[in-house]
Amino acid sequence: MRQSSSLHRGLIRIPGELGAAFLAWCASWWRVFHFGALALVMALSPATYDRENRAVTARQIYFTAWQVLPWFTLLSALLSIVLIRIVVATTQSYGLSQYALEMLVRVLVLELIPLLAALFVALRSGAAINTEVALMHIRGDFDALRRAGSDPLRRELVPRVIGSAVSVVALAAVSGVIALLLAYIGVYGFSPWGLAGYTRTVGHVFDPQVTLGLALKTLLFGLAVAVIPITASLETPREVRLAPVAVLRGMVRLFLVLVLIEGASLAVKYI
Amino acid sequence: MQPESHPPPLIPHVEFKAAVVLVLALALIGGFLAYVMYARGVFESTQRLVLVADDSEGVKVGMDLTFSGFPIGRVQRIELAEDGKARILIDVPSKDARWLRTSTVFTMERGLVGDTRIRAFTGVLDDPPLPDAAMRPVLRGDASAEIPHLVATMRALLENLERMSGTDSSLNTSLANAQTVTERMKGRYGALAGVLGGEDNARKVITALDRSNALLASVGEVSAKLDRIIVKADERVFGTAGVMDETQKTIVQLDSVLRDARDSLKKADAVLAEAQAVGANARAATTDLAALRAEVEASLRKVAHLVDEINRKWPFARDTELKLP
Repeated sequence: MRQSSSLHRGLIRIPGELGAAFLAWCASWWRVFHFGALALVMALSPATYDRENRAVTARQIYFTAWQVLPWFTLLSALLSIVLIRIVVATTQSYGLSQYALEMLVRVLVLELIPLLAALFVALRSGAAINTEVALMHIRGDFDALRRAGSDPLRRELVPRVIGSAVSVVALAAVSGVIALLLAYIGVYGFSPWGLAGYTRTVGHVFDPQVTLGLALKTLLFGLAVAVIPITASLETPREVRLAPVAVLRGMVRLFLVLVLIEGASLAVKYI
Repeated sequence: MQPESHPPPLIPHVEFKAAVVLVLALALIGGFLAYVMYARGVFESTQRLVLVADDSEGVKVGMDLTFSGFPIGRVQRIELAEDGKARILIDVPSKDARWLRTSTVFTMERGLVGDTRIRAFTGVLDDPPLPDAAMRPVLRGDASAEIPHLVATMRALLENLERMSGTDSSLNTSLANAQTVTERMKGRYGALAGVLGGEDNARKVITALDRSNALLASVGEVSAKLDRIIVKADERVFGTAGVMDETQKTIVQLDSVLRDARDSLKKADAVLAEAQAVGANARAATTDLAALRAEVEASLRKVAHLVDEINRKWPFARDTELKLP
């Protein structure tokens, strides 16, 4: 009798708990969007860039972009060469080599390289930002800053967002341009006479919608790479043992968002 | 990997390096945008060409118009006109517009694999250039649309072939007949037997030929005799004191006789002229005679009138007869 009544109570409690979990989930995503919008506005307002903040932002750009640029460029160039060879050889064997260049530009520059850059920055800097912010949050550094009269959002968090956004955009731009050059060499060799046809194909692929979509996608990648780990870190209760949980949640959510952005961009373009 | 924020480690030229990354990214993006705009023909002056098609299926914005395999224009817009036809608006860069002339023909082809292609064919490159905003019809060649027609034609063709090659077809019969004829030709009388349909007929023809040969030989002899006769006749007719000689003399005499006759005729002519003059005088005399007669008639009427007067004035006289002088 007592058992059944406790089961009954449990059954009543489950929908309430589900509802609470759903509300918490919604609130968490709301915080992500809110922080993202706030960071974007602060990044675009010139008042953010006072002397000290400029130094912090420059340091973030140095760590997330400058240090990884050569290695990432090398890596993406190698991957591009492999893909270009595969595509060129396959299309030639099927007698469809006239479509090789367009396919390469679409696959490499529009889809693979921005995603690769975002994943690379997420792995290298996103995880680091997540851990660092979580530890600062648990240690109470932000409260200390606030007490010292300094805005932690402006001083510590927004520079990280700007740093990773610049990093993703810069890595994607450098690797994209190198992939375009490699695609030209892969399809036409070192002859300059393919330039007219190449220019035409590039112009054909990059119509205004596609170009705008690529810019927007890369920018969203850049924002997500910093915003989602930071939000996940700030959400964790202030206990040291929960720091790994914050990193885990932040990284999983980040990958989910990256895949969603990529999927949405593909859907808009091809469906 | 991320450094501690407090205290920040000292990094040489950190702001410069950040600026380098930013400038590099911005320069690459800006350069790429400029290249894409150049590739899309933003900086080129273009002229408009409007192609009118029954069906714009497969045509996409951004498609190329090719001339000899080189792209010379790009589809900018596709719209449905008021008359239900598709209007394909194409921008042709001014430097490539020289390939398009007033006599240029535009075709739209749809292959089994790959995109629809719009092509321009210019036969005469000396024709006047195509004006801006020119409207031209586009001829449609659709490989997949041609297939049913092709299959139907092929089937008809194959049926014809089958009918021609059947056992009782006319072609087969003709071949059999040809075989019979050639069989006959192989015989003793060769092609003649083939043509005439049998060896008997051929033999008759050959006999007839032999006889004609004999006949021709006797005709030859006859014509030799005839030759000799003709030679003799020639001598009799055209020789000295022959028929022709005598005839010539007679003709000379006839000539003098004729000349005499002509003189006599001239004289008769003169006589006739005089007779004509006499006739004319007689006609004049006849005119005078008419006037005389009128006068006589007038005198008679006066005399009659006078007699009537006398008769009235002389009532006793019973003899009213008047003796004319």
